[in-house]
Amino acid sequence: MMDALKASQAQQAMDLQQVTRRHFFSQCSMGLGSIALGSLLGDGLVKAASVNPFQPGKPHFAPKAKNVIYMFMAGGPSQLELYDWKPELARRTGGDIPEEFIKGKRFAFMNSSFKDQKKLLGPVKKFHQHGQGGMWFSENIPHIGGIADEMTMFRTCKTNLFNHAPAKLFMNTGTGVFGRPSMGSWVTYGIGSESQSLPGFVVLHSGPRGPRGGAANWGSGFLPTTYQGVPLRGSGDPILNLANPAGVNRQRQRASIDTINKLNLKRLVATGDPEINTRIASYEMAYRMQASAPELIDISGESKATLDLYGIERGKPSFANNSLLARRLVQRGTRFVQLYHTNWDSHGGPGETLNKDFDKVTHDVDRASAALVKDLKAHGMLDDTLVIWGGEFGRTPMSEARQTAGRNHHIDAFTMWMAGGGIKPGNIVGETDEFGFGAIDQECHVHDLHATVLHLLGLDHERLTFRTQGRDYRLTDIHGKLIEDALA
Amino acid sequence: MSLGWRIRVVFIVSPFIPLNYCRLAKTTGLAGALAVGLVKPGAVEIDFNRDIRPVLSGNCFQCHGPDAAKRKAGLRLDTRKGAIEARDGVRAIDPARLAKSELLARITATDPDTRMPPPEANSRLAPEQVKLLSAWVKAGGEYDRHWAFNQPVRRPLPGLAPERRAWAKNAVDVFVAAKLAEAGVDPSPEAAKATLLRRVSLDLVGLPPSPEQIAAFVNDSSADAFEKVVDNLLQSPHYGERWGRHWLDAARYADSDGYSHDAARSMWPYRDWVISAVNSDLSFDQFIVEQLAGDLLPDATLAQRVATGFHRNTQINTEGGVDKEQFRIDSIFDRLVTTGEVMFGLTLGCAQCHEHKYDPVSQTEYYQLFAFFNNADEPRIEAPTPVVTARRAEHNARVRQLEAKLKSLTKEDAGRKSVEVSLAKLKKARPSAATTLVMARRKEPRTTRRFVQGDFTRPAETVQPGTPASLHPLAKPTPDRLDFARWVAARDNPLLARVTVNRTWQHLFGRGIVETENDFGSQGIPPTHPKLLDWLAVEFMENGWSLKQIHRLIVTSATYRQASSVRRADLDQLDPHNRLLARQSRFRLDAELIRDMALVSSGLLSAKMGGPGVFPPQPDGCMDLGQHRKTWKASSGEDRFRRAAYTYRWRNTPHPALKVFDAPDGLATCTRRIRSNTPLQALTLMNDPAFVELSIGLARRLMAEAESSANRIRLGFQLCLGREPDAEELRLITELVAGQQTEFAAQTAEAKAVVSKASSLGQAGKPAGSDAALAAWTMASRVLLNLDETITRE
Repeated sequence: MMDALKASQAQQAMDLQQVTRRHFFSQCSMGLGSIALGSLLGDGLVKAASVNPFQPGKPHFAPKAKNVIYMFMAGGPSQLELYDWKPELARRTGGDIPEEFIKGKRFAFMNSSFKDQKKLLGPVKKFHQHGQGGMWFSENIPHIGGIADEMTMFRTCKTNLFNHAPAKLFMNTGTGVFGRPSMGSWVTYGIGSESQSLPGFVVLHSGPRGPRGGAANWGSGFLPTTYQGVPLRGSGDPILNLANPAGVNRQRQRASIDTINKLNLKRLVATGDPEINTRIASYEMAYRMQASAPELIDISGESKATLDLYGIERGKPSFANNSLLARRLVQRGTRFVQLYHTNWDSHGGPGETLNKDFDKVTHDVDRASAALVKDLKAHGMLDDTLVIWGGEFGRTPMSEARQTAGRNHHIDAFTMWMAGGGIKPGNIVGETDEFGFGAIDQECHVHDLHATVLHLLGLDHERLTFRTQGRDYRLTDIHGKLIEDALA
Repeated sequence: MSLGWRIRVVFIVSPFIPLNYCRLAKTTGLAGALAVGLVKPGAVEIDFNRDIRPVLSGNCFQCHGPDAAKRKAGLRLDTRKGAIEARDGVRAIDPARLAKSELLARITATDPDTRMPPPEANSRLAPEQVKLLSAWVKAGGEYDRHWAFNQPVRRPLPGLAPERRAWAKNAVDVFVAAKLAEAGVDPSPEAAKATLLRRVSLDLVGLPPSPEQIAAFVNDSSADAFEKVVDNLLQSPHYGERWGRHWLDAARYADSDGYSHDAARSMWPYRDWVISAVNSDLSFDQFIVEQLAGDLLPDATLAQRVATGFHRNTQINTEGGVDKEQFRIDSIFDRLVTTGEVMFGLTLGCAQCHEHKYDPVSQTEYYQLFAFFNNADEPRIEAPTPVVTARRAEHNARVRQLEAKLKSLTKEDAGRKSVEVSLAKLKKARPSAATTLVMARRKEPRTTRRFVQGDFTRPAETVQPGTPASLHPLAKPTPDRLDFARWVAARDNPLLARVTVNRTWQHLFGRGIVETENDFGSQGIPPTHPKLLDWLAVEFMENGWSLKQIHRLIVTSATYRQASSVRRADLDQLDPHNRLLARQSRFRLDAELIRDMALVSSGLLSAKMGGPGVFPPQPDGCMDLGQHRKTWKASSGEDRFRRAAYTYRWRNTPHPALKVFDAPDGLATCTRRIRSNTPLQALTLMNDPAFVELSIGLARRLMAEAESSANRIRLGFQLCLGREPDAEELRLITELVAGQQTEFAAQTAEAKAVVSKASSLGQAGKPAGSDAALAAWTMASRVLLNLDETITRE
């Protein structure tokens, strides 16, 4: 199929040149005679077939990772029920957290369910050790535990904002201020994308609801919208408006695009506006996308073993299905894939308990998260694909007074992990205090995580800039330091 | 120099032009400008603002600028006082021994330990910058206030050679021609009449001209044919929809709360206020005052209170567990950012956390501005439309009638009970009115404190309302928000008129005279035509802050009327970005106009104005991307075909066909839209059911209004491109239609599938003839609606 695609592209390029030639001769009388045909074709005016808005860019230095798959665990997963094993917290369940920890601290729900809340809540789940280094994982995520030796666990992640929508924005854009680009936009702006037929930055969703904040999470802010995340849809067309209108088959679409492009090319010759080049290229890429996106989501060619690895039930939208699609996207040259999964909120109220509801969400993602890493490895793709797993914040060691014991939002310390793409395997960065409240060693602020991700992609976070409003903006604003301990 | 050149009188006084235009004819245009006399441009020498400030600002101010906290070595280079001050006997600029100035030594040093900027800085001076700085220091190192903080003044028009004078139609052109003459470049010829008409129609009202309007204009050989067209457009109610929408971008208008829940909000009365204010050409200073503090005006009208919705377009976070005070303060931060960018072209937001690094705004001054907004309440009020008000009056009369009747009946009266029931029922049926969010004075004033590093949990000293010292004074001991509003809109504000005419210019040429339209500060890009910018700003203020007059002036200029074709032969190297304005610009239409364009050409556009947001079709599933799955039930009837300015705007799940063409989402102020060009746009225009529907609408129209294939194509070109097709264009579409019709004749199911997608269009206007013919013409119409030229203003 790829050969056929290439042949059709080459044919397109030839057609375009032919049309140009014809116009050159037919329009001499309109003042174009002074421009040599050679220069029209040769100096870049007509280069539509090669124009690609996602033209791969040059990184600042040799990259470790080429692509990113970011599993965004929306709602704030509890690190204390997943990764950060705190026996002391277990022992002191029901006691008060010492005053010095929370003095002057602000939390969500301070006027309601978290008013004067100091009571410690021990880990609700049992923990087991995995991997050669004996890393701790809760009983809820045995599969993720199984890839302990592939990952660096960041136990001391820290963010600034403790409400869901602002914190998601912060995790994605490095600020709570609206109108700034997300990490996926920065990356595709910085190094483009390999794909000629799929978007460079793709977003997928699973779980009971969409992420809070919606499109701002994958928005391109002040960067051109070319770099914004494109949602891959769970039902209907995988990409919005991908399917031809009823009654329009592929030949008919081709005939229409041919006419559009020939007329556009005529206008290009008449006006000399290079934007028309890009427009012609966009129609060609759209046409290719119409073939490649359905092929992308058609997993009928994947083996039963692969489907079982992820835990996919054919035809049922799920995080597992999305994880496999993420691998397929990266295989096809997409640069940055973000998978949102809801809902990790665990306050203890209905639908948010640390028991049944938490078990459901861990069940949704455990097998597939691990499977993605294993599958990438099996395909030889893990070395240059960076996998990121984490939410917008973590949960408090103190319990929250709802119907059942739950945990409130916590920004001082929470856990994320990364694997592949230049990440040191079997590694832990940072250590929290006995309650898991804050860092006692190597704090990993969101800005530092961003700087590290960009570094792995060969980008210096201080040099990846975009000038607007009189200054050079960065994903890391004026912050961010590389977390060297995480590098392989 | 003689003033006797022949200049066309550009402002024709017509009986159809409202009075304020007559005022314009007397006081503006070349006549006014010429009275000031003409001078030759002075010899080229170092201009501090043009040559030196950008270098200092870009390379030095970060550590040696206004921000005392981050200042290194106590040295300050943004003021002359700082530069000549002796520190340990060393002066950066030494007026007594200029050549020995430390600044010179440092920027030319080879030793990395002494060289400035230091190696760890991300900036390095280019050799020509070193040369410039050296020459400047040696010449005395004199400073000049940043240009944007000086009052704009109307300078004499530059002198021009006769052939360039002959080209000029008004003062705008004289400034542009002088710059072109300096560069030795000729302007482009005037655009073809049809192109010009389409351009000015799209620019002023956002709708393409009809074939009849094109024919009338092309055939009108009178000298003022174009001016007549412009006047008509300026009086069209669609003008307010077009230019109101530009303002709504800046006002970050949308119809939902944003953040997590993104609840629906009723805000359209503010949107309608903007459109109506723009249509009535409300003087721009008053336009500003009403939006910042209309509620505080004496005897404020409902409209003036609705206007304060400008700063209620901030987002509201209603997710569980939020600290409301935090988000109230965040909205004030947003109000300052917006006020700064939109009304001053200043990045005030930079001073939220620290002293501004480049411009003279201290952190304390930032919180003095903050104080004006801190003392407002943020209520929701009813904003009945005139129709509702009338209905309510009628209702009240009926209530009174029944009450009177009730009074006339004794308790024993048999009919009393039923009157009582009717009255109770009637009272419950009071006509409801839409609500809108506004500002209101707070009874108990809040104390404003500076926040350390902009963090509201770290309040520092108390500050009083006030304005930055670097700007014009606000002479009031205890100013309130209304005083602030009047200060913003004051004649001696050096920035408001400049940023406003600059944005106007940007919308009419694709790029502002100051390219950084939201940053006129020292980090912004200096104006390409500073004297023109100032001339326009003064003109604007002296003529009652009338935007319509500025529009008329600019669009009737020869500069505006030029062809937009790229001049590769002579300007490709010299002026690739068209900064000299030797041609018009060619750029893609705004998102809303792309839909409006298709609505007009298919003849389906509804002319209905105002009211609640409407729901044109969008693909299923687009509302799933926010936290709550909202519904989008496509409007039917007239509301399905309204101008896109009236499309309902959810912040978290924006309408995909608007978003894909770069419409802002109302999350933050937007003073300039990006114009991207992507495959997703192609998919939208080709496959989005809403556009397919309009393709069928256009096909029906072509078939109904023209007989022959060639005439249908000609009509289609007129409707979509505003011009005739040439032979080859005609041939390409003819071939497509013929081929498709043959194929569809054999594939009847496919033909039926195509034409069945227009159930919303009803049976009216459905052409006689086969499905195959309609399907084939739908394919042709779809091609026309997808052309780059269709969605471009040339």
